[in-house]
Amino acid sequence: MIGYLNLMLRLAIWFLLTADFSLANITIGIFISLILPQSYSSYKNPGAIKDWLRALGEAIVAIPQAYIEALQIIIRPHNGEDVIMEQVRPNRTPGLIFLDIFVITFTPKTVVLKYHQEGQYEVHHVRRRRKS
Amino acid sequence: MITTVLGYVFIGIGILFWFWGTSALTTNRSVLFKLHSLSVGDTLGSIAIVFGLLLKIPREWSLLVLAIISLAIWNTMLGYVLAYCSTSRGKND
Repeated sequence: MIGYLNLMLRLAIWFLLTADFSLANITIGIFISLILPQSYSSYKNPGAIKDWLRALGEAIVAIPQAYIEALQIIIRPHNGEDVIMEQVRPNRTPGLIFLDIFVITFTPKTVVLKYHQEGQYEVHHVRRRRKS
Repeated sequence: MITTVLGYVFIGIGILFWFWGTSALTTNRSVLFKLHSLSVGDTLGSIAIVFGLLLKIPREWSLLVLAIISLAIWNTMLGYVLAYCSTSRGKND
């Protein structure tokens, strides 16, 4: 099932790039999507389709959230900084970890510094400093 | 007409984000703090500009959507790589 998702992503990029739905172009697109190399680990352990759909949904929700956070940072300066450790959800494949890091780093208030193999993301936050 | 005006509004917002994000580079803060501002300026500002262009010239939608996807992925992952390299604990692997 994940193989289909991967194929669809490759085809989507191909059609966005060429913007041509002629039979010849569709054939070339499918051919190229099939012969592009696939990583062995994702082939052996693709991860659950439910996790993939959820991660893709989170990536889409992250877009408006990123703009809201950007406006918050611009309107009220966030001068405080700290680093926190976030737990990685169980059974994450390398592809899902990539999407997790993408979603966290895409929003302006948080940046992933490092992924620890033991199952933690090191995340740098900016915060509003409390008045003391 | 309305889409053209909206397109210019988004381009304007993007340019404002660019200037705001880049202005943080001249401050005395840490590299990571500047990265947060730059993700507003570079990633979100550029996406807003390309979205404005999308409203202005919708016939080029496929390339502009591809540009938005590339901007989002490339800028974000470069931000992660810079953040990773800025910490001295990185093993350079």
